[in-house]
Amino acid sequence: MVENVLQDIEGVGLYGVISICIFFAVFIAAITWMMSLKKADLNSMSQLPLQDGSIPANRPQSKITNHE
Amino acid sequence: MNTNVETFKYDNRIVRAFAIATIVWGIVGMSVGLLAAVQLFFPDANLNFQFITFGRIRPLHTNAVIFAFVGNGMFTGIYYSLQRLCKARMFSDALSWLNFWGWQAIIVSAAITLPLGFTTSKEYAELEWPIDIAIAIIWVIFTVNLIGTILKRREKHMYVAIWFYIATALTVAVLHIVNSMEIPWSWMKSYSMYAGVQDALVQWWYGHNAVAFFLTTPYLGLMYYFLPKAADRPIFSYRLSIIHFWALIFIYIWAGPHHLLYTALPDWAQSLGMVFSLMLIAPSWGGMLNGLLTLRGAWDKVRQDPVLKFMVVAVTAYGMATLEGPTLAIKNVNALSHYTDWTIAHVHTGGLGWNGFLTFGMLYWLFPRLYQTKLWSTKMANYHFWIGLLGMMFYIIPIYVAGVTEGLMWKQFNKDGFLQYPNFLETIVQVVPMFRLRAIGGSLYILGYVLMIVNLYKTAKAGQFQKDVEAQAVPFNKKSEESGSHLWHRWLEARPLTFTALSVVAILVGGLVEIIPMYLVKENVPTISSVKPYTPLELLGRDIYIREGCLACHSQMIRPFRSETERYGEYSKAGEFVYDHPFLWGSERKGPDLAREGGKYPDAWHYNHLDDPRSTSPGSIMPRYSWLLTQKLDTTSLPARIKALRKVGVPYPAGFENGPAQKDLQAQADKVVANLKTGSINADSDREIVAVIAYLQRLGTDIKSAPATQTQTTNAK
Repeated sequence: MVENVLQDIEGVGLYGVISICIFFAVFIAAITWMMSLKKADLNSMSQLPLQDGSIPANRPQSKITNHE
Repeated sequence: MNTNVETFKYDNRIVRAFAIATIVWGIVGMSVGLLAAVQLFFPDANLNFQFITFGRIRPLHTNAVIFAFVGNGMFTGIYYSLQRLCKARMFSDALSWLNFWGWQAIIVSAAITLPLGFTTSKEYAELEWPIDIAIAIIWVIFTVNLIGTILKRREKHMYVAIWFYIATALTVAVLHIVNSMEIPWSWMKSYSMYAGVQDALVQWWYGHNAVAFFLTTPYLGLMYYFLPKAADRPIFSYRLSIIHFWALIFIYIWAGPHHLLYTALPDWAQSLGMVFSLMLIAPSWGGMLNGLLTLRGAWDKVRQDPVLKFMVVAVTAYGMATLEGPTLAIKNVNALSHYTDWTIAHVHTGGLGWNGFLTFGMLYWLFPRLYQTKLWSTKMANYHFWIGLLGMMFYIIPIYVAGVTEGLMWKQFNKDGFLQYPNFLETIVQVVPMFRLRAIGGSLYILGYVLMIVNLYKTAKAGQFQKDVEAQAVPFNKKSEESGSHLWHRWLEARPLTFTALSVVAILVGGLVEIIPMYLVKENVPTISSVKPYTPLELLGRDIYIREGCLACHSQMIRPFRSETERYGEYSKAGEFVYDHPFLWGSERKGPDLAREGGKYPDAWHYNHLDDPRSTSPGSIMPRYSWLLTQKLDTTSLPARIKALRKVGVPYPAGFENGPAQKDLQAQADKVVANLKTGSINADSDREIVAVIAYLQRLGTDIKSAPATQTQTTNAK
């Protein structure tokens, strides 16, 4: 198969460089964001699936475990 | 205490509807898969009935499993969890039901049209243009309902599962629209707007990300919701889940080029695809470990609870598949694995393990809650687990063996420097026993599935369905949340639309880096002057080739390896495909590559081979195509086809379709008939087989008549 057919496009190599730069910028931003979060908030957010607000009388009991 | 408590109801009816749909379509999709698997060692299992022949039901199987089984499974989980995570009923019941019935109508139309041979030929995007439009409309309805529910939520935080749902909704829409650009030439048929290399790049940008954003991200959302529910403990690390989300959606899109290694893609893009594929291991394994570590201190539950057993295997399969995927994206590994059954084994680790087992776990957890009762039989669910797991092993392991065997045999040279196995058939006959074992594995998996259907049916019968679940929550005030040291997170959570826009940016950045070269490539494919558009007869033959799904087993892409050029002839050039709407490179070889098939055998050989492959190639697993001998060739639509192709850039002369095309067609058909006569075969010139033979004899012949300098656009590896 033919390869390198894009080599003639002016400055095509720049795409690769830009790609890596963008990637690292996003990666650093995401890490910074994650580290800035407070533990108490993280805990409350992670509890969300376990607190769905439904009225307990309607909640079934599992045969094996009490999942809820 | 806030006295402003609101009481509202969660809609369980829509959840039940999607759950039943996933159960029903699952058994259909898997059974069709089994029928296809059986045909690989017993070709007559199609009963010589064209509508259930491998090439047509293979896309039916993949579409049914991906869009019907997993699609409905995804909607089941999203409609259940989204309401509870948002503490709100769905935005609109009407949209929910439009989503449900529209999606089922699409599935039914796929189940009818694919066996009839209405296919675009693009993998996982085979459905034709009217259904494509319907998919786009229904998907928009789902997205509006999703975003609408998030906007009216009573919970201030958007749990990470919702992020995955948003990314799914948006990315699938972008992928589907870009890849489905086509020009209709009849009410059910069209030609791709892209040609050759460009079409291949768009298709695999879609194909890769369809796996990412239809089979992976929504199910990760479900994992982040249902695994904590089933284990009754929060996710191991919420921080990790944030990184998992952004890293995954950002990196995934970039990795698309790994489907096109050793093709026309420039080297740097191939390397980029490979490097980003390897980087994907990090977020994927972060997610897997986050799931498994959620069970720390609760492994005793896993021993007893089938729900958790299914989920643990699902998450483990996710980890295995996401380690293997990047491995297959390494160029040297890909050189061996591509076109072999290795890829099939890989996708079934993901399909049977990750999607299948997570769906089963979710359904076993959900049904007792929907029906306010206990699971009818825990023992039966455990049987399902073990039978399903055994089935999965029996499926995957033989197919890995088959894949590696194929790859090695195709590349094996003897001490004199010739191919050790020059006849492709030898390599397939070698792995037929593995195909048999695979069918046993698939049967076991389906057997387990039947046990689940019985169990869930009995559970439903024993309980009472609760269609609306009453719930209470305090509405939150967006403005009061915009303070604190973690302002950015709060700010973003309070603005789902901004969040959505940022997610789009994240997927588009990677997408654009791939898409821009994709659009530039068209002008940069070196033209080969001897490459001409297909003649009318060849065009009709090509459309029959597409209808029959020949590309499910035959590639048309010779890679620049000596093992391939020795076997098939000169490696494929980008310029050879400039009139291919759509491209037909294929992704799998159950039969030999056909890129240079033209002129290899006489017309009479093709006639006999298509009528009964085993008459010319003893031991062949190709199905008979005897209906091509009797079915009349449809020439009435020829003008419409030529006009449509002209619109997308194929240079047929003006007015060609009004007379000259028909004359050309008849002359070429008569020539084929005359050739057949020399082989003692009397055929009518207006039969489909004549067109198919004309097409096969054209394949790869254009460059043979060209001066060598024109075709040597780049060097072979």
